[in-house]
Amino acid sequence: MLQTGIEPELARLLEPIVAWRTWTLGRSRLAERPLLLPIAGPGSPWVPREPARASCRRRGVHGGVVPGARCRCGLHATDELEPLRRAREPTVLGRVALWGRVIEHEHGYRAEYGYPQRLRLICPLCFWRWGAAPPNPCAAVLVGRGGRVRALCHPHRELAERSGMGARRILPAAAVEEALLSAYAVDPLR
Amino acid sequence: MREDAVDIGPMRRIIEVEPVTLPVPEELPEPERVPEAEPAEPSG
Repeated sequence: MLQTGIEPELARLLEPIVAWRTWTLGRSRLAERPLLLPIAGPGSPWVPREPARASCRRRGVHGGVVPGARCRCGLHATDELEPLRRAREPTVLGRVALWGRVIEHEHGYRAEYGYPQRLRLICPLCFWRWGAAPPNPCAAVLVGRGGRVRALCHPHRELAERSGMGARRILPAAAVEEALLSAYAVDPLR
Repeated sequence: MREDAVDIGPMRRIIEVEPVTLPVPEELPEPERVPEAEPAEPSG
C-alpha cells in the first residue's frame, strides 16, 4: 500500500515490458566479453545470458519484495529516450525486456528482472546533443585513467585529445560492440 | 537505494509480468562429443 493509503492498481501481463535503458561498461575484457554495468549506484554487472535481478538492502522494510513501492530500488528503464539524454555519461544504449514485479512510473519502470534485447555503443556527447540519431558512429572505446569507459565518435575523440583527456587504453568501437552483442546474444540497436 | 540516475517520475501502478517465454538467450550447447570408436573385435 502506498503512503497515501491508496491501494495501487495491480495489472498482470504475459509479455515482458520493453523499455529504454543506458549502461556503462566494465573496463576488463572489453575486447572479448564486455560487461554491462549500471551507470549509477553500486549495482552489479548484468551477466550475459542470465536475467539481471534487482536487489535492495532495504527489502526487509518493504516486505521482502523488490522493487518496493515506496523505494527507489529495481532495474530502471524509461519509456522515452528523452530522460536518458539528461543522465550521467552512458556508454551503451539499448532496449531492455522487464518482467517479474514491475513498478510503472510516469516516465518509466522499476523492475525485478531484466535482460537487454538490442544494444548499441553511444558517444555520450552525441547522445546528449542529437539523441539516438547522431551524425557520426562511435569510432573508439577509451578507458580513462580513472578506469571510466567511454565510447566516442571520431570528432569527439579528437576533441577529447585536444582537451588533454588521456586514455589508458583505446580499442576500436566496432570490435567492442561486436563482442558485446555476441556476449549477450542480442541484435544491434539501429 | 537508487539503481540509476534518471528521474522516472511518480509511481502509477504495480504490474506482475509473467512472460510465457523468458527473453534471455539460452547458453550455447556444448559441442557434441563423438564417442571413440570401439576397437574392432577380432574375427575368425
